[in-house]
Amino acid sequence: MELDINSPVLREFGSEQSLLSKPDGSATFMQGDTSVMVGVYGPAEVKVNKEIYDRATLEVLIQPKSGMPSVRERTREQCVRETCEAALLSTLHPRSSLTLVLQVVHDDGSLLACCLNAACMVLMDAGLPMSRLFCGVTCAIDAEGQIITDPTAQQEKESRALLTFAIDSKEHNVMMSSTKGSFSMKEMQQCIAVSQKASERIFQFYRDSVKRRYSKIL
Amino acid sequence: MAAGFKTAEPQEYHRSFLKEKCRPDGRELGEFRPTTLNVGSINTANGSALVKIGNTTVICGIKAELAVPTADAPDKGYIVPNVDLPPLCSSRFRPGPPGEQAQVASQFIADIIDDTNIIKKEDLCIEKSKLCWVLYCDIMCLDYDGNLLDACIITLLAALKNAQLPKVTINKETDLPEVDTQHKRHLQINKHPVASSFAVFDDEVIIVDPTTEEESLATALITAVTDEDDQLCAFHKPGGSSLLAEKLQDCVSRAVTRNREINKLIDKVTESKKSSK
Amino acid sequence: MPITEVSSSRQGSRGNGDVRPLFARCGLVSQAKGSAYLEAGNTKVICSVYGPRETERKDETDMKSGRLVCDFRLAPFSCPKRGAWIQSAEERDLSTGLAESMQPGVCLHRYPRAQIDVNVVVLENDGSVLAHAVTCASMALADAGIEMYDTVLGCALRQDGDRCLVDPDLAEEQGSVRESYGENQGRVAVALLPNLNQISGLQADGEMRADTLTAAVRMCVEGCHKLYPVVQQAILRAVKRKAPPPPEK
Repeated sequence: MELDINSPVLREFGSEQSLLSKPDGSATFMQGDTSVMVGVYGPAEVKVNKEIYDRATLEVLIQPKSGMPSVRERTREQCVRETCEAALLSTLHPRSSLTLVLQVVHDDGSLLACCLNAACMVLMDAGLPMSRLFCGVTCAIDAEGQIITDPTAQQEKESRALLTFAIDSKEHNVMMSSTKGSFSMKEMQQCIAVSQKASERIFQFYRDSVKRRYSKIL
Repeated sequence: MAAGFKTAEPQEYHRSFLKEKCRPDGRELGEFRPTTLNVGSINTANGSALVKIGNTTVICGIKAELAVPTADAPDKGYIVPNVDLPPLCSSRFRPGPPGEQAQVASQFIADIIDDTNIIKKEDLCIEKSKLCWVLYCDIMCLDYDGNLLDACIITLLAALKNAQLPKVTINKETDLPEVDTQHKRHLQINKHPVASSFAVFDDEVIIVDPTTEEESLATALITAVTDEDDQLCAFHKPGGSSLLAEKLQDCVSRAVTRNREINKLIDKVTESKKSSK
Repeated sequence: MPITEVSSSRQGSRGNGDVRPLFARCGLVSQAKGSAYLEAGNTKVICSVYGPRETERKDETDMKSGRLVCDFRLAPFSCPKRGAWIQSAEERDLSTGLAESMQPGVCLHRYPRAQIDVNVVVLENDGSVLAHAVTCASMALADAGIEMYDTVLGCALRQDGDRCLVDPDLAEEQGSVRESYGENQGRVAVALLPNLNQISGLQADGEMRADTLTAAVRMCVEGCHKLYPVVQQAILRAVKRKAPPPPEK
């Protein structure tokens, strides 16, 4: 299939918010068969040694589908945490803690992107103040140099390179980048352009789901 | 007076320098700290290298051990990298199990090794499904003053270039490996990846090779890894302020020239080590 | 594993009572309050000191005196056999040994409720690591400006029958213990406060006669005194760099 930069193919995606009763905010995000559930706790009291005097301390924990979190989860946690930190107005909650717990329900490719989307959904659900929204898009470059957006696990395996970006809603710039495999500068620029295009659809989805939710209440 | 200003208002202190297009240590925005390299100083390791980027000091020792290849890759050896940030190198690290930063760095190095095929893993196989080499690449930071990843990759590459493996044959009769320490060979290095790190200040000013202080004040950190064919091996930006695609392009261009500089340095040091023997 | 045969005369021109030539430098780790690097033959030790700072564990806070916390690590590539990443039992023992040898030399009562961290990493182990770590740690403490009664110097010895090898390298240290289990086989490490002429740490294992042990300790003390000028000079150089002498008028 020929790639059309203007309408990148994404698998069907969906989300549900406020489905857990204990956390202060919760959400699931599904992209094709990849699914992540997330809960957020806070702003709450923070441990003394983790206290930051002028902003909230954000912790992100990623639980894999089975087994204990490994070193690979640490890298993902760092990416999600630093992206959230940049979007959150954490200075409004100094000396308090925010904890995001992500549970991988099923991994069928583009997991980091799905984690980012779920994280953004949950921050909205908890009503935490943010300067911008963000979303994650994964692009795979296959052996022929074709760019596949939102790849499945099988497509990831067959790809030569895998690039995940977080795009912000304000200027549609790159907030986060995490890559695997080797690629040229031109390919990276193409992937960024495709991701920016794809992000519009995800942001539209965010907007629609919030609208749907609050139209009932208001 | 300046010292007091620096302690009380570090952000403002740095800003006042950046406004003049320079940095507190006298560097320009796009200037790396002096980088020095020393190879083969650890006799107990098969290969070793020590890199200094400014104050940041990182040492890598490579130990080769014999093992049985895994069942799903019977014709391959393996490489196990590990990055350690001992409490020795900075007051921010505590004794005990590795923290997040060390784990993320280890994973980053492991990904680079796998993605670029620095060494063909088939080269480490001695006899199919019977015997292979395991290269333990232990990277230890001795002085942490920012830009850890750049230093780690330089020291890893130089140590791999320095490493020598003895000749091993399997005795047909006893079926036991025999190590011939008289005949040693260097490893075949396939790719030469070099990392360049950047820090973003106040969401817009990009500086290269940040010190610890600059890292802690920065709003985003970027690491770009390129190989000698100008291909990107990794573009890591864990989060932080959002940037235009053009700015990212600038980072990659700087990384490409840095790759040339560093590979020249590694070659020079490796050559002078060989000739001095 | 083949054990290197220890010949009657040591490698090179070194006599049995001689220490290896020492290279010592202070102030290499930019992030630390004080640091030192020491090289004796192929043994390479680096040490950094942080503090005095607030104690991490509040329950162990001592109102009257400070705490000296030592962390001793052998780099995984430092020994002939690769070490593990987690601290081994051997490293824990060495940490305790180091802490006990250093404590008497430091004026801990001057730092109530505080903690001073001494971190040692051995980059290459070619024998006598504990002894050299003691010397290195005391240089780093001096470089950090921690108040001390005296420098602490370390020297090790390998007793092999009637032979007494001062500052042994790894082959000498491990050699023939397993091979011939004879009389007077052992290892001694001494930590000395040279100006007070007091011994702050003594570790001896193996089997030795009482008079042999006394002689061995004396040999170690002599060895320490041989190291002293080098250590003194390194500290002096560091002090001069930090506080240059006023220009003469």
